[in-house]
Amino acid sequence: MDRTRHVDIIRHASAMADKAAFVADDFARALFPRTDVVFNDRMRSNARQYLRSAIGRVETRICQIATRDLGVTHEKLLSIGEGADGQSFAVLEHSGLLNTVEIVQHLFVKTQQSELAARLLQKISQQDLESTLTRHLDHEDSVVAEAAMGLLVAQSKTTGASGEIAASLADLPPEIVYAFVWPVTAALARLTGFPGQQLQQAAERLLAAHDESSGVARKAERLAQLLDQSGTDQDRVPHPMRDGLTLFVARLARQSGLSTDQIITFTAEPNMARLVVVMRAINIPVQDALSIFAALDGGDHILTAATYGETDRDRSLALVSRWASPNAYQNAERILSSDLLGDQGK
Amino acid sequence: MTTARKLTEPVMGQVDADGLLLSADPLLMQLHLRCGGAEGGPLAVPELAELCRLSRRLGMNLSRPVQASDDDCRIEMWVETRFTSSEKQQPLSLSIIDWKEYPDDESDKMDPARERDFDRLEGRGAIRTDAALRIIVQQMPGEPAQNADAVGQSLLDIYDVIPPSAHARLLEAVAERQPIRNQRMRAKIGAQRLFILHGYPLIDKLGLFAGYRFTAMPDDPASDPEASEDDIKPVGGKLISDSLFGLQLGPALRQPLGKIIANAETISAKLEGPLRGDYASYAKDIASAGRHLLDLVNDLSDLEAIERPEFTVAGDSIDLVDLAHRAAGLLAVKAADHQIRMELPAEGEKLPASGEFRRSLQILVNLIGNAIRYSPDGSAIKLRVSAEEGFSRISVTDQGDGIAEVDQERIFEKFERLGRSGDGGSGLGLFISRRLARAMGGSLTVDSAAGEGSTFTLSLPTQKKP
Repeated sequence: MDRTRHVDIIRHASAMADKAAFVADDFARALFPRTDVVFNDRMRSNARQYLRSAIGRVETRICQIATRDLGVTHEKLLSIGEGADGQSFAVLEHSGLLNTVEIVQHLFVKTQQSELAARLLQKISQQDLESTLTRHLDHEDSVVAEAAMGLLVAQSKTTGASGEIAASLADLPPEIVYAFVWPVTAALARLTGFPGQQLQQAAERLLAAHDESSGVARKAERLAQLLDQSGTDQDRVPHPMRDGLTLFVARLARQSGLSTDQIITFTAEPNMARLVVVMRAINIPVQDALSIFAALDGGDHILTAATYGETDRDRSLALVSRWASPNAYQNAERILSSDLLGDQGK
Repeated sequence: MTTARKLTEPVMGQVDADGLLLSADPLLMQLHLRCGGAEGGPLAVPELAELCRLSRRLGMNLSRPVQASDDDCRIEMWVETRFTSSEKQQPLSLSIIDWKEYPDDESDKMDPARERDFDRLEGRGAIRTDAALRIIVQQMPGEPAQNADAVGQSLLDIYDVIPPSAHARLLEAVAERQPIRNQRMRAKIGAQRLFILHGYPLIDKLGLFAGYRFTAMPDDPASDPEASEDDIKPVGGKLISDSLFGLQLGPALRQPLGKIIANAETISAKLEGPLRGDYASYAKDIASAGRHLLDLVNDLSDLEAIERPEFTVAGDSIDLVDLAHRAAGLLAVKAADHQIRMELPAEGEKLPASGEFRRSLQILVNLIGNAIRYSPDGSAIKLRVSAEEGFSRISVTDQGDGIAEVDQERIFEKFERLGRSGDGGSGLGLFISRRLARAMGGSLTVDSAAGEGSTFTLSLPTQKKP
């Protein structure tokens, strides 16, 4: 037997032994999911692809700052900075450092957003979708028109090829950039053997240079706020086919007082029940609600006028108001509530 | 309704590593101070301070919506944080690029005391009950002070329900928290006066039913000093016939005018939905013209009443300082619209006088209303009280154009406008006010010079005439 291969098998076996304790955990999660959300293979694949891409962008940028701005001449850092495949992901993948609630939640939202975009493209062409924002460019309030232009420009910079899910550093929320930067910096220091201090400086510079205002999400939120405030918009009811997905989600979030991440999460849940409740709470007319539901639905679910009409608005308002409370409070409330185990526990 | 502050330049500020507000543009500084902050102290706008803390913890530039509120309004902003240098202890720059103010819903609600003053000014009584219809406050027309005896008693123990509506239907409406309209009630005790009650349910901040607020209009002609004149023979040589305004045309005009004003205001405030800007503006004009007509109807009714030889006023014991505060309170919104500051006598002061509460309030509202109308925006109106030789005086001084000496007597004449038009005045206010002051044994005078503002002084006897 080839000695190298022999050593590989030994190393592999040792690694397997270290991880064996988690096999039951992984299998349990797959067997006994605690939510009703179904994660299909495409979502899993997209999430990994997005995560690898985001880590790669952060890694490349740190190396660029270290080598170009701080004058570091380390060969490996130079090659990563110039676009060579990074290796941090492989180091971090099984470390548990990426398995934080914040990061995983972000991955889920981005993946679901990508699902929604794909569903929309089955109903409206990419070109039509991209032209939805142009109607705001002639808005009588120049601030709104400028914000719409800003969003258009930001979107055009980050839109990848159809079906591709790629991370753009400018579009990553600051909290996520922060959550990625330090593990990647530590991974780079370990991989290269280069003293960490200059890499840390490069990481700090990356953080300081990150500008949240140039990201698509914030630009969409600001445009949603301005449109809402202007009160002159003819289409008071947000719609994904009239606004485009990003602005639609931002407008719905703004009108309901929820976050955009919450709205996207609701669309992944069975029958989009919480999305229906949100639409009812903010009094979206029945025909618009049915149309929005149909545009975002990925299966054969149908929302009927009767179901929507019979959804009690006061109770919907109360629920949405509850979901808008701080996450920490909602978590604590859930833990303290007697029906902690939900329907299965009763 | 919203107030937009279109920012031509972003509002800037700087916050140090300890969260202290190092510098701020005036708009931000005002908000910081209104939120309880001090100059150079920690940034006191909670969500803004939280954004600064997050920005500093991450070491990153953020761009997010922020809300703030104070007693008067809610403000929506879009804020960007910027690190000015790479130093860790560097100040953080705040740049507010959008700023939109929404009046606080709470501030739209009228203070109950102020609402009662409006009722008294218009000759209405007011009753406030708790959820079990027990009376908390009662102030009936023609009664100078609140009726303390009624407090705590059930409304139905003090008043009988008069058909056509039945006792049960009233209770049914109460049980269903429905507004109550045109309910005739007779007082069980005293003169057994008849009233028409209108009431609406009160809902507290927790959304629970908290009782009713009723307004009571006298329904017995004998109890209304003006209405009682109906049976008296007409006096010749009047502007219009005696019964035309006070009893017939006045009420008949007030109701439709009230509806026109209310609907026009609803339209202009876009309460029912978005509307083209020029239509909202037309509706505002309609409301304004309606209010002018209503004022004219009220003035003509008053004119008709005071021109009767039998016209009398009650000799209540009143406090001119209290009256000044109430009148100023009724016109506070109008003054604020013109950024006019009102200087009032200290609240603890007292200056007793004898006169009918409602009529004295009417005079003061007229004088302050005129002062607001003819003063430049941003000026001050001073109300001063004094006592001299058996008379208590209250003066209203403005910083308007003043009145030439030759015109000073003319302004008290009927329909005299000194050539002005289109400012909402009818030319009857001062005429009526002086007649009322004289009917109460006092006087109304003016002291002014062209270009130097005017001082109107209402004098009333300090004590009731025996």
